[in-house]
Amino acid sequence: MFYSIRHVTRYRYDAPVRESVMQLYKQPKSDGAQRLQAFQVTTHPRATLQAYTDYLGNAVYHFDVPGAHNELVVEIEAAVEVHAQPAPPEWVDSSAWQVLGSSDVQAENFDMLRPHGLTQPSEALRDFLDERNLIKADDPMTSLRRLNRTIFDAFTYVQDETEVDSPIDVALKKRKGVCQDFAHIMLVVARGWGIPARYVSGYLYTKRDGGDRSAPDATHAWIEALVPGAGWVGFDPTNNVLAGERHIRVAIGRDYNDVPPARGVFKGPANSELAVAVTVTPAQAPRRRDDFLRVVRPMPKRAERPAAPSVHAQQQQQQ
Amino acid sequence: MDPSKSAVRLTVVSNRARPGHDAPFAAYDLGLAHDEMFGQDGLPRSHAKDLYDTLCTLPVAELERRQQTCERSFLHQGITFTVYGDEQATEKIIPTDLLPRIVPGAEWDKLERGLKQRIVALNAFLKDVYNDGKILNDGVVPRDLVYGSKHYLRQMRGVSVPLDAYVNVCGTDIIRREDGTFVVLEDNLRVPSGVSYMLANREVAKRAFRDLYRGYGVRPIEHYGQELLATLKALAAGFRDEPRICLLTPGIFNSAYYEHAFLARQMGVELVEGRDLFVHDNVVYMRTTAGVKRVDVIYRRIDDDFIDPLAFRHDSALGVPGLMNAYRAGNVVVANALGTGVADDKAVYSYVPDIIRYYLNEEPLLDIVETYRCREPKALSHALENLDSLVVKAVGESGGYGMLVGPQASAAEREAFRAKLKSDPDNYIAQPTIQLSTAPCFVHGGVEARHVDLRPYILHGADTRLVPGALTRVALKRGSLVVNSSQGGGSKDTWVLP
Repeated sequence: MFYSIRHVTRYRYDAPVRESVMQLYKQPKSDGAQRLQAFQVTTHPRATLQAYTDYLGNAVYHFDVPGAHNELVVEIEAAVEVHAQPAPPEWVDSSAWQVLGSSDVQAENFDMLRPHGLTQPSEALRDFLDERNLIKADDPMTSLRRLNRTIFDAFTYVQDETEVDSPIDVALKKRKGVCQDFAHIMLVVARGWGIPARYVSGYLYTKRDGGDRSAPDATHAWIEALVPGAGWVGFDPTNNVLAGERHIRVAIGRDYNDVPPARGVFKGPANSELAVAVTVTPAQAPRRRDDFLRVVRPMPKRAERPAAPSVHAQQQQQQ
Repeated sequence: MDPSKSAVRLTVVSNRARPGHDAPFAAYDLGLAHDEMFGQDGLPRSHAKDLYDTLCTLPVAELERRQQTCERSFLHQGITFTVYGDEQATEKIIPTDLLPRIVPGAEWDKLERGLKQRIVALNAFLKDVYNDGKILNDGVVPRDLVYGSKHYLRQMRGVSVPLDAYVNVCGTDIIRREDGTFVVLEDNLRVPSGVSYMLANREVAKRAFRDLYRGYGVRPIEHYGQELLATLKALAAGFRDEPRICLLTPGIFNSAYYEHAFLARQMGVELVEGRDLFVHDNVVYMRTTAGVKRVDVIYRRIDDDFIDPLAFRHDSALGVPGLMNAYRAGNVVVANALGTGVADDKAVYSYVPDIIRYYLNEEPLLDIVETYRCREPKALSHALENLDSLVVKAVGESGGYGMLVGPQASAAEREAFRAKLKSDPDNYIAQPTIQLSTAPCFVHGGVEARHVDLRPYILHGADTRLVPGALTRVALKRGSLVVNSSQGGGSKDTWVLP
């Protein structure tokens, strides 16, 4: 599948602000079953984009607007291809538990096995697990499938009941929430069972008539868990599905706060309003923005240049 | 035999003040601890003899006068320290003691070699844990101790640090064991403070005992500011010949603000607060009265957490948004590097001898204090059973906060601590209570023994250097073993002999 993604974030301030500094986790990944074909960031006011790759391999863009401004708009457009993948196994061998307990797995996945930030175990979570009689099954895959369904069944998808960075107890008490809450809850349980699990920030091409609960005009979040024999498998507890061709991965982290789509600070005594528009539309083929390009002045030959990280290259191509 | 000569000798012997008996040493307690002035026989050590003789001959009133001059000088210079956790977070003059503590040259040289070895190894450790993690893969230091530390900054993974020098200024706390050997109590690798007191103490002690100072040929330390400046400059050598350097302070409410201003003045660099700096297109700039100037090196005295609200604590109003980005891009040097706290964690401390062997293939020249890691069940039960004789410390804290000195705590305090220890053993280590050495201090109109430690400041960049001197911190309460200035300790000058 080819997708065309447009994601606009607009901040409005009720008084002029200055020295806005912002970072973005918005560039879809280009690995596994997913290929990033084109990516462009536009800001208003205009700013020079900088980029780096963080320690988890995510592309991070950042920029600053030094002068006074009352509005800041960040618009990204991306073209992504997602290949269909063979479905993960229904279950795996119960020996998978031993594999997960091995020191190699433990060492390689240190960060994804421990509570961190918004993924802290709590009394309310223990009560929830007791109430649902949710315990480890014979194998990790079966356990995770059950967990995915249980969260889906137990919670109602309601926006504005929780914040993107609410502790899991808020959703647990209300039995309401959105994708971030469900992902965080699933992470705590999976990690508690000794399964490496990571937060995934991204987009979902929603099919409301297909039973999706996610809001179509928003970013999405789900999790990936390491299942021996199957690799990292994506689970989407918001929609009770495994992540597949409709899930577009942008960033992975320990929790939401590791990879918020946008985070910024500014100076000035102002209140701010945030508006977001997200559209994910299927496309026949990637838009080839460079079709018309014709090289009129070839690059002069140069001595060896240090290899730039792919993100930098990407950014320079796009600007 | 000439009777008059014999009489003179007798007079000298009988005039010799004995600790615990005669003025001005009448109240001088020679306890179990090593004493910096007196040997076990109650006689002054050879290096302390000149100081001892001076104290025996000077009238107490004169000592008092000199002590007051000292204190006035501190007050006039505004050498103060804020004590937190006090009812009214008060700014106090840091108490200074008149009498210099004397370290023989040979002892110092040995200590210096040990300190240099240590900082080189700790820098290698930091480079490793923020890059390949070999020492963790080899199982020399437990992975969770490093990755689980609240001071381990994932934002620093793979970031290249100029000259691989993470810790550029290190203040290592050294104590003397009962047998007189120096051992390391802790490393301060984040934003160690106190060096201004080292220099201020020198100024007053030099004046108070001018002849003695000259006679001893005390090694100079006054060039510390220039050494620091040279170290910072060398860090920018890769991209700037004449780098613009500034000292970043949290501001006037910080307990060490006096020191920040003092050091900036000594080095001739700008003293700035977060709001004076900004980042544009990955470059750090400073607002000055003469316009905007690019900054190349930041000697920062702000903790990691607060230095960049975009990267770390979002509620920090002290920092510079985007600084981490500029740093990662290599456009500015930050000294000390971010994330160094992972190596001065008190649990990592217990592994430093292994860390030295691992990276340098040498035996450690300096011992550490025997340490029980409460994360290990056997050590925990030992700690719980011996709370009354141990010192228990939270691994990530410093400045004497979050610790229990077993022998001096009340039963209630011990019980409260026992509960903390049980609920979060990973967070604690325990050590035997060491009788820090004692040194003569001028208190209550006499000379008394007080426990002291020693904090030299090691500079590390293109090379490793330290001025031959240190801050000697004093537990001014009789018998107390806590020397931290945040806990009401004082300080005195340290004379390193040739």
